[in-house]
Amino acid sequence: MASSSTSVLTSRAKPPPAGGLKSAASLLLSTWMGRTGVALLLFLLFLAGAGPWIAPYDAAAQTGMPFSVPSAAHWLGTNDIGQDILSELIVGTRVSLSIGFTAAALAIVIGTLVGVIAGFLGGRTDTTLMRLVDIVLVLPFIPLMIVLAAFFGASSGNLIIAISLLIWARPARVIRSSALGIRNLTYVEGAQALGASNLHILWKHVLPGVLPIAVSQFILAASSSILIEASLAFLGLGDPVRKSWGTVLYYAQIRGAFLNGSWPWWVVPPGVLISMAVLGFALTGRAIETALFPRLQQRS
Amino acid sequence: MLERVGQYLLVLIAAISLNFFLPRAMPGSPLQFLAGEDVALLPAEDRQALLARTGLDQPLTVQYGKYVASLARGDLGYSYQANKPVLTMLIERLPWTLLLTGSALLLSTVFGVIVGALAAWRRNGWLDHATLTSSILLDSVPSFWLGMMLVALFAVQWPLFPVFGAQTPWSNLTGWANVMDIARHLVLPVVTLTLVSLSGTFLVMRYAMLSVLGEDYVRTARAKGVSERQVLYKHALRNASMPVFTVFMLNLGTLVGGAVVIETVFAFPGLGRMLFEAASNRDYPLLQGAFLMVTISILAGNILADVVYPLLDPRVRVQRG
Repeated sequence: MASSSTSVLTSRAKPPPAGGLKSAASLLLSTWMGRTGVALLLFLLFLAGAGPWIAPYDAAAQTGMPFSVPSAAHWLGTNDIGQDILSELIVGTRVSLSIGFTAAALAIVIGTLVGVIAGFLGGRTDTTLMRLVDIVLVLPFIPLMIVLAAFFGASSGNLIIAISLLIWARPARVIRSSALGIRNLTYVEGAQALGASNLHILWKHVLPGVLPIAVSQFILAASSSILIEASLAFLGLGDPVRKSWGTVLYYAQIRGAFLNGSWPWWVVPPGVLISMAVLGFALTGRAIETALFPRLQQRS
Repeated sequence: MLERVGQYLLVLIAAISLNFFLPRAMPGSPLQFLAGEDVALLPAEDRQALLARTGLDQPLTVQYGKYVASLARGDLGYSYQANKPVLTMLIERLPWTLLLTGSALLLSTVFGVIVGALAAWRRNGWLDHATLTSSILLDSVPSFWLGMMLVALFAVQWPLFPVFGAQTPWSNLTGWANVMDIARHLVLPVVTLTLVSLSGTFLVMRYAMLSVLGEDYVRTARAKGVSERQVLYKHALRNASMPVFTVFMLNLGTLVGGAVVIETVFAFPGLGRMLFEAASNRDYPLLQGAFLMVTISILAGNILADVVYPLLDPRVRVQRG
């Protein structure tokens, strides 16, 4: 698997990056964008993985007086029902990241399938699928999410499905144009002439060819789905059972964090964490794009 | 052009159909929306009467046809909560949202164009780097959180502006005092919205300016000895503004529904806030009406962009004609 995807990068992506995955990784780390992005992501992934072990308290339990100010016992104070805010945020990292990650993964699977099929088959199929993409891109985003959440109810599963159903369209379009390029390469036409089935060519040539683009699109989709999840959770449409960073901000807003002056430790930290995650994914995604497709960079 | 019209019709049909089928795709009977939680206690004949009165006993296709027909007459139904026509409620809220998002759109376009042009003009200068970095950062910050931070700083810490709403409640201000009161309430939400939409316009303007500055006619003008000021105003600025017009037109479409989250932060009585309240109260007719209105406004923005762009850029006109 690893070796085949390396050869994909060297031989099929266009323009070919010099030296495959390894050099793509070092290119990624050679820019300040890439380094900052990866560092932010590693930090947050650590919080997500180790959360329950490094959180000072059980985030769901009442471990202090309500509205405690920061102290040695509670570094970020407590919320309206006496839960430790620092622990909430550490444990919430996993919720925010996993919803964003899963929604992005699902969106990329849909987007890759649609993009590859549209780009490879062309004709009527292409037109129909791209029309669908246009429709999804025009529909109002947050309002539609609210409508969906109202009808289907707020749970992590529904959130993931709703977010991914709305963000697959952009990657689908990008992946389609990449698939179009691959279809016209001589060896694909050769394989077709030799009688290889469409399915075979899709699986063996087109799919591996669009993989690098799909990876960078996935990272960028993760960035936007984390932002969307946070907005929905802030509106009170998050999963009531699993508190994400956005949910913490929702409670801060409705339980008067501004009136009692607890906003410096109740409102500021979750927003910083969300921004760090979004920034981490966005920078990493851009850096990967630049490393794999240097030509894109010349535009800016 | 005809193809575009077909495309917009498809989007409209998609939105109308979503509005129709989503409530019906929900688990449980649609009666629950009408009769509330007591539906189980309803006697059989009452249930039947309710079904007949609402047309829910007819086949889905007939219901869909009737739904579309009443939409065409401008009948958006009655709100469950307020017991008022949905259309009336939408029209009441619309001006507030237009005021909020319209001011933000104007400000972000003006600043985006100025800063984008300057950044490109002095490419790789300190302003270019500073603005590029800030636009990356601004894109990463959740809009509602930015709003909350502004409230924390400029309404709580230093109480310069009101915390929420669009008017001071029960003040019954009139005339100039009322205008000033509304303006003071607008400052923080408008600043928030302007900041979050600034980077889009800025990046488009900067990129357009960079490409224009690389064009032959700019080089020729400079070679002829035209002053830098003249190059900037006469040649570069005007041509680089084209793509910004498109962005502006598309943003016009988001005027109606673009501020749901910000209106929530500031408890601003706009349409976005109403859409959200309708969802929370399970007020389905109101929710559907608001969603439809938002979709139509986006379509209108797209159509406007399609129509106006060829007028501005002769090259597009030639290609299409």
